[in-house]
Amino acid sequence: MKKTALLVSFSLIAFSLFAQKKITTSATVKFDASTSIDNLPKAENKTVIAAINTTTGSLAFEAAVKNFAFSNPSMQNHFNGTNWLDSDKHPTFTYKGNITDLSAVDFTKDGSYEVKTEGVLTIKGVDQKLSAPATITVKGGSVLAAADFSIKLADFGISGAPIDGGKVAKEPKINVTAELK
Amino acid sequence: MPEHVQKKKPWLKRILIGILVVVVILAGVYWYYATEKFADTKSKKADYTLNALDFIREFQQDIAAANKKYTDKIIELNGKVSAIEAADTTVNIKMVEPATASYVIFAFQQQHLSEAKSVKEGDSISVKGSFGGGIYSEILEATAISFKRSTLNNKYPN
Repeated sequence: MKKTALLVSFSLIAFSLFAQKKITTSATVKFDASTSIDNLPKAENKTVIAAINTTTGSLAFEAAVKNFAFSNPSMQNHFNGTNWLDSDKHPTFTYKGNITDLSAVDFTKDGSYEVKTEGVLTIKGVDQKLSAPATITVKGGSVLAAADFSIKLADFGISGAPIDGGKVAKEPKINVTAELK
Repeated sequence: MPEHVQKKKPWLKRILIGILVVVVILAGVYWYYATEKFADTKSKKADYTLNALDFIREFQQDIAAANKKYTDKIIELNGKVSAIEAADTTVNIKMVEPATASYVIFAFQQQHLSEAKSVKEGDSISVKGSFGGGIYSEILEATAISFKRSTLNNKYPN
C-alpha cells in the first residue's frame, strides 16, 4: 500500500514538473529595419523554438538565422552575409531570460497579464542584456507570449554603409509571438 | 560665338550624355534589385528529393556538412506529418524522427496556406521548401531543421 502511494506521489510530481514547461517550435519573430527611404529590410521567422517555465518564470528562444524570410532575394543575401549576420559562422539567435515580476501572472487562471522580462540576447556571437515588457495571455492551458522591443545593431557589431546611409534602421523593431503548450 | 567655345561644345555634350547613360543604367539596376521578389517555390525545381527521416539523420551525423550541402537549395521531402502547429496567422507542418525527437518543420508561403491547412496529422505528403538551416536546439536537446516559403507538392492516400 505504501509502495503504491509512493509511486502515485512520484508520478504526480513528475507530471507536475513536466507541465511547468511549455514549449513551441512555431514561435514567430518579425524583424523590421525599414526606413523612409527603403522598405525592404524586414523579415519574419515562423519556426522559432520557445520555452517558458511557469514555475520559475524562465524564458528561452532559439532561431535559425537563415530561416528569416525576406521578400527580396538581395536583401536576404545581405542579411546572411559576412558583413551582416554571418549566418554560416553564427547560425543561431538565442535569448535566455526571466519574467522578473512572476507574481503578476496567474498561470492557472485565464487572462491577460503585463509583465517585465530581463535576459541575454545573443546575435552574431555577441551577448547583450535585454529588458522588455511582454504580455502573457493564459487561455485554456495555453500561454500566449508577445513582446515588442528594439535592438541597436551597433551593440552586436553590425555596421556598414546601408546603415550609415539611412537605408537600414540603426535600431530595428522586433516583434515576438509564441503560443506555448 | 567665338570659335574656341564652339569646339568645346561637342565634348560637353558627350560627357553629359555619358553621365545620363550611367545614371539610367544605375537606376535600372537599382530598380531591378529593389523590386525583385522570390519566385513561387511551386514553380521551382527541387535540387534534392529525399525521405524526411533520412534527411534528419544526415544532420544528426554531421550538422555542419549537411548545412553546407543544402544552403540556399530547394528541397523536396517525403514523409508522414507528425504535427501541425499554429504560427502567428499561419500554420507549420512538422515531421519528427521519433527516436530522438529531431524534426523538420515547414513554414508555408502565404499563397499556399490553404494547402497547408488541408493537411492532417498522419497524412503522407511530399512538401517542397527553401532550406532555412539546421540547428541543435539546447531547449529541446534535438536537431531542428527549418524550411521557409514551403508549398505542398503532393498528398498521398494513407
